[in-house]
Amino acid sequence: MRLTALDEAAETLNLRKHMGVAEARAIYPALDVIEDDPTANRRFLEAIADWCDRYTPLVALDGVDGLFLDITGCAHLFGGETPLLKDILARLFQMGIDARGAISSSPGLSWAISRFGQGGIIEHGEAEQALAPLPVAALRLEDETIGGLDKMGLKYVGDLLTAPRAPLARRFGGAVLLRLDQALGTDEEPVSPRLPVASLSVERRLIEPIGAEDDILALTGQVAVSLKPSLEARGVGGRIFELVLFRVDGKVFRISAGTAQPLREPKRIAALFAERLQAIHDDLDAGYGFEILRLNVLLHEDFVTSQGDFEHRQQKDASLAAFVDRVSARLGEDCLQTFQLRESHIPERAYTTVPAIEHLSAPKTREGHLPPARSERPIRLLRKAEPMDAFAIEIPDGAPASFHWRRMQHRVLKSEGPERLAMEWWLDGVDGKDAGDRDYFRIEDDKGRRFWIYRQGHYERDTTQSWFMHGVIA
Amino acid sequence: MAQSAVTRERLFALRETIAKLEGKPAPALAAAQSEALADNGLAAKNDSGPRLPLGIPALDEAIDGGLPLDGITEARTDLLREAGAGSGFVLALAAMLQRQVEESHSAPLPILWIADMVSTMEAGVPYAVGLRDFGLKPDQFFYASPRKLEDALWLAESAVESGVFPATVLEIRGNPKPFGLTESRRLSLRAKASKRPLFLLRQAGEEEASSAYFRFLAAPAPAQARPLPDGTMLGGSIGNPVFHLTLEKSRNPAPLSFLLEWNPHDRRFFAVSQSANPRLPDERATHSGTPLSAPSNRPDRKKEMGALLAFARTS
Repeated sequence: MRLTALDEAAETLNLRKHMGVAEARAIYPALDVIEDDPTANRRFLEAIADWCDRYTPLVALDGVDGLFLDITGCAHLFGGETPLLKDILARLFQMGIDARGAISSSPGLSWAISRFGQGGIIEHGEAEQALAPLPVAALRLEDETIGGLDKMGLKYVGDLLTAPRAPLARRFGGAVLLRLDQALGTDEEPVSPRLPVASLSVERRLIEPIGAEDDILALTGQVAVSLKPSLEARGVGGRIFELVLFRVDGKVFRISAGTAQPLREPKRIAALFAERLQAIHDDLDAGYGFEILRLNVLLHEDFVTSQGDFEHRQQKDASLAAFVDRVSARLGEDCLQTFQLRESHIPERAYTTVPAIEHLSAPKTREGHLPPARSERPIRLLRKAEPMDAFAIEIPDGAPASFHWRRMQHRVLKSEGPERLAMEWWLDGVDGKDAGDRDYFRIEDDKGRRFWIYRQGHYERDTTQSWFMHGVIA
Repeated sequence: MAQSAVTRERLFALRETIAKLEGKPAPALAAAQSEALADNGLAAKNDSGPRLPLGIPALDEAIDGGLPLDGITEARTDLLREAGAGSGFVLALAAMLQRQVEESHSAPLPILWIADMVSTMEAGVPYAVGLRDFGLKPDQFFYASPRKLEDALWLAESAVESGVFPATVLEIRGNPKPFGLTESRRLSLRAKASKRPLFLLRQAGEEEASSAYFRFLAAPAPAQARPLPDGTMLGGSIGNPVFHLTLEKSRNPAPLSFLLEWNPHDRRFFAVSQSANPRLPDERATHSGTPLSAPSNRPDRKKEMGALLAFARTS
């Protein structure tokens, strides 16, 4: 066991990272050692990243202990770069987090300055000047490369800046020069944000935090009103909305809700979140209240505007979409489903279920593939065919005279069949071609109950044949 | 004299309250209306909201012209293995409503089926291909599977309220406590307000007081043979589904029992003549006497409702 991190008090002592725990305990018997928990660290870092969302939507994780914030075009909202950096560091400090930060024109430079320099703001032309006195480790190089450079006497970035480039590349590979260029800003380095960037977003910062559900909904409605003009200007409507609530103590809640059709109407957006809040009621702990409320549009689609007709057809579509939205928001998207027919003769493969929320927006499929004759399938199909015992089977290819299913004896009076359905060899493979053949029968028992049963296996070939119950006929 | 006037006034007030509960015009108004309608008796049927006639005169007479399209109609089955009859009857009603919508040349409207989890496990999910064979449109069929009964009730309520579904089917198993008279009354009021029907399908349930207008007991009945082009029947074949329905709750004094055959192609019911005996040949043999006719003056003693425990005195 080794020490992986030290707190402020421990740093002042004669302790180092990577020191054995036994050794450290020998020096300081009163040492308090807590086991490292990488996943908890990660969660904490992600929570801070969530919190940083208040400054910019582009937040990326950097290793296990760093964050990149792309503040392009955001600084003016906080009164410039200096106040922005001060605000971030002060707030983090108040939350008990010791953070260092730097603002510069490239991620690499900011990384170097905040970890090895004094932090603060580096203006555009000052990159070389700021980098020169830092050790080569500030260039985010691998340990091996740093060791090699060290041996060569290249201890500081300034040494690399003055050294000729070609021999460096030959000796240490392209990584050194790439990192150097990235730090200087001559090579572009993208920051990949951890969350999808909303195509549109509006937010409201509150002086007095709110906590009540009604207040949140009312505010969502207001914010949605200000979202409408920008949606209209782009000619789109939102399909997935996200409500981001920043709690006073730094916790961030993200609540998303999907819609069946592109949506602009502020009232319906608010109604959507009313259902969502109902559903997650217990998980949303308002605590001391929320100070920032943001409404994001994560996915948008073209909004087809159409004039209403006298039959109010459009209105009916809209109210169906509204109903689907409400149900999906409250009970989950999988709760409400529609069926789509597929071209397969295997009963359980002849349809698929599609969440209703996707069905409405999908283009209407053609209705053309009706079979030439009515096939007379059961109205209810068991999820999985249930094995049953069949007796007095008419050979070779007849229905049983009675069967035992779910502890009940049924006497078969009438039967229709068999209807032989072979498995699909193009899906199930040539080997299983004959094995899965099923002979289906529609049967009626002595009480008039009608069922759909099948036999698996051929009479001529297979010694054992098994019987299954597969559906209920009206 | 004064005494009796007061009593009469209270009586009228009570009558009016009852009428209001039942969703009918107050008796005082009704008396005036019925006088006005005395000369055309047919119109009198249509005074209380839209109706869905089943297309069989004798039956429609018994249910005041048809099933109400602004209220609850309940269909129950005795046992889960008879779920096919109950589901079939309710789906047939939904198909009739869809046909009505189509005949009025408006855009097709979807049906909503709110499933109960246990019934789905026992009797299966509605099968899209089979629904098409049964006269419904699979792409206009919404299937909801809420996890809890409260969710199912909320779903049913908001579906009826939204007014987009010409028929909403709520499947329930047994007689759950959380779905009592209050909840059914609530649903019934919603249905009345939005003028949309709700079909309550109670699988393996007992008779229970509810605010449904009518309650049917659906039981399976042997299907008739398939007709051949020359007019004879194909022996041993299973034709269109037949349901044995008993009208348990209605304004009729005695429960009414009849056989209906559903024709998926025409999407309408046909009456199966009672002479084509609902009983099967072997049953007929054991009870060869004529079946007793339903009592004409008054119904049999009402059965006690709810679960009955046999061992009340054991302790």
